[in-house]
Order: sequence, then C-alpha cells, then structure tokens
Amino acid sequence: MDYLLWLEETPFSIWMRESGPAFFGSLIFHSIGMGFVVGLHVAMNLRILGVAPGIPLSLMRRFFGVLWVSLVVVSVSGVLLLIAYPAKALTNPVFYFKLSAVVAALIITRALTRAVLQHASYDAISAPRRARVLAALSLLLWAGVVTSGRFLAYTYNILMASHQY
Amino acid sequence: MEALLDFSHWSGIYDFMNTSWGWPTIESLHFMGLSTLIGTVGLFDLRMIGLAKGIPMSALHKLVPWGIAGYALNVTTGFMFVSTAPDQYLFNPAFQTKLALMVIAGVNVLVFYRFSWGPVKRSGADDSPPRAARVAAAISLTCWIGVIVCGRLITYYRPPYFWCFWC
Repeated sequence: MDYLLWLEETPFSIWMRESGPAFFGSLIFHSIGMGFVVGLHVAMNLRILGVAPGIPLSLMRRFFGVLWVSLVVVSVSGVLLLIAYPAKALTNPVFYFKLSAVVAALIITRALTRAVLQHASYDAISAPRRARVLAALSLLLWAGVVTSGRFLAYTYNILMASHQY
Repeated sequence: MEALLDFSHWSGIYDFMNTSWGWPTIESLHFMGLSTLIGTVGLFDLRMIGLAKGIPMSALHKLVPWGIAGYALNVTTGFMFVSTAPDQYLFNPAFQTKLALMVIAGVNVLVFYRFSWGPVKRSGADDSPPRAARVAAAISLTCWIGVIVCGRLITYYRPPYFWCFWC
C-alpha cells in the first residue's frame, strides 16, 4: 500500500486524475484501441469458425499491423489510467482477472497464428477442430476482458490509497 | 422524456438497470456490440481504403451481417441506458453529437449501397475500389470512431452543467 500511496502523490498521477483532457483522453484512446483489438479478434475467430469462408485465412494477417498499433494504444492508455488511480485497480481482483484473460487470449492468438494463419494451407479449406475450439475460447476470453474492464469501474473497494488513512 | 422513463419503469428495464450489476452488464454488451461492428464493418472499410489487399472485398463483406447484429445489440442496450436516465442523455452534447454521427453513418450506408456496392462486389482481390467507395469507407470509419469518442464523453458532459450546442 505504501508504494501506491507514493505513486498517487506524484505530480504525474495527480495530473492524470485532475486534468479532464488527460484522463478522458486516455479513456477514449483505451476504448478505441479495445474496440479494434477485440474487433480484429472477433473477425479472425469468426473466420476460423467458418464464417466468411471466401476470405483467404492467411491473409487475415494483413490486419495484424492494425492489431499491433491497437495493442500499443491500449497498453499505453491502460498504464496511464493505472497511474491515475493505482489503488483502484491494483487492489481489485477483477483487474488481475482482466490481465490474465488478456494474456491467455494473446497466447491463443499466437498459437492460432502459428497453426493456421502462417501458411496458406487453410485458405480454402476449413480450419482443424483444435483451431476452432481455440477460436471459440478466444471469443469467450475477450468477452471476459470487456466485461471485467467495465466492472472495474463498479467493483473497486479502494479508490485511492490515501483515503484509507 | 416522460414517455421514455415511463416505458423504462413499465417494462422493468428501470429496475433491472438499477440492480448492482445491471448497468455494467449492459455496458459490457454494448462494448461487445461496438467491437463486433469495428471488427466487421470497420475491417471492410479498412480494406476499401487500401489495407489488406489480396482479400476480396466481396468475401470480407460476408462479415457485415455480424456487424449489423452488433449494431442491433447496441441500439437495444443503448435504449436501455437512455430510457433509464433520459435527462442524462437527451440534454447531453456528447450524446447529441453521437446521434448526429450515427445519422451521417446511416446516410453514408445508403449512399454506399446505392452507388458503390455493385462495382465493389465485382472488383478483384487486389483491386482498389472506386473513389466514391473509398470516400464512403473513410466517412464510415470516422463516424464510428467519433461515436466511440462521444460515447465516452457522455459521462464527461453531464447535465445540467452542459446542455446542448444550439440551446
């Protein structure tokens, strides 16, 4: 708790909290970035599950540039939001669930990339069952990420470490 | 405004939204709908602008019905927010701008399907679509990103401190 107290007293943390443009700007970038990260996964997973079979599966990788940029945007904005209210998230189990789900989902993305996106083998035939199971799991995980992200704003026990004393 | 609130009470939406988990649950669904729209219509737009050449636009368009489902989910969940707290939305410049952007996006959809969908559907995997289609794609992306921005700003411009641009 001591380092949370220290962090929230730093000028940068205070500025992130008290400046409307800084805080809402970060929220906005986080939302747009998440929209693209989750949206790209929705498209990729639906395609693996057999929707829109006319899309050559390996060419879905051509959207990975957008995915990478979006991942950078959500990470940076996420850290900024964390700096604004460090205790709010770090003392809430929901936050750790969200982070774990993100990590698990990205591991699945890497596995799917290697298994079915790297080569043109599955461009015209349906993806193997294992890949389809992973795609469905990925969709569930991203739904969990979005839901836990929303619930972070409602389930915190401590808004600021300094309010504890 | 009264009618909206009355409907919310009558239908049970109001009570549901005021449970401890009702509002954030519907917000989560609203975000999933938004993401689905971005991942389907948004990707189709990106392809028309020139990204991911090699993917036939007609094939990518097969994802669009899922985007329409996401849109329908968001109209439904959006109505649940607005009818439960109409004063927080109807007099809110961020919400008003959000609706205006949705109207522009809607007109853009009609114009696109009337004039550009035919040539886009017939174009090859590596082709660029006609200029009108690229413009429509840019308008669509701009509108939907603007809708997300305005959605987030709704809690920033809370009435009664802000009313609307033209009042």
